[in-house]
Amino acid sequence: MRIQTKYFGAVELAEEDVLFFPDGLFGFEEEKKFVLLPFSGEDDCLLCLQSVQTPLLAFATLNPFFFWSDYRPCPAPEDLERLQVEQSESLCYYAMCVIRDPLINTTVNLRCPVAINPDTRQARQVMLDSYDMRTPLPTINDPPSASPSSPSTPLSTEGGANCPSPNPKGGASIC
Amino acid sequence: MLILTRREGQSLQIGDNIFIRVTELNDGSVRLAIDAPREISILRTELIEAAKINKAAAHEEASPTALLKLLRKKDSP
Repeated sequence: MRIQTKYFGAVELAEEDVLFFPDGLFGFEEEKKFVLLPFSGEDDCLLCLQSVQTPLLAFATLNPFFFWSDYRPCPAPEDLERLQVEQSESLCYYAMCVIRDPLINTTVNLRCPVAINPDTRQARQVMLDSYDMRTPLPTINDPPSASPSSPSTPLSTEGGANCPSPNPKGGASIC
Repeated sequence: MLILTRREGQSLQIGDNIFIRVTELNDGSVRLAIDAPREISILRTELIEAAKINKAAAHEEASPTALLKLLRKKDSP
């Protein structure tokens, strides 16, 4: 299938690239299908969440584990159930950015990440009980907090307790 | 602002046709059952904020590519 995109012109996609959001996104409830496209080559540090239905609708999203190594998203049981997983680590997470001018004022919504089940490609934007909807970017002098060295390692489903720490690599692959 | 204390199982009524019952108290959270006419919109307050932020996210003020460059800088040791 071929879609028009906000940043990349016409893009050829396989059906299996499409992510399904049965409830849309907050404020965009009618938008049920998106794809994740890298802004630059294979670099998955910043990805574009592009609507399949609406060419001009796209969001800059980042892998929160790259920049906040202690990020532990813990969605509500109903969210896990809808995504057909038992634990948070079975999901990939991406956080949406509000890009500001100047760039340094950009914020990241760590409270409402997009959670994706990579096996079914079902996805939803979840509302966590913690984290800020307007988290500032990490400061330039901060050391990288998560290992960006093995971004394509498959998801680990190991884990334990009720709200265990997701594999930091969990959100790193393009689902 | 009116502040009321309710126990689990108790309820309150707003106007003629909105009923709110406390169904469960659990570790700092409260579960509510709300009975109201269909035309009354009931939203968790933070969802309104989340929708507003998503709308802002859909209209970037600067180029995502410029942000990517900045992030790469942060990312490298």
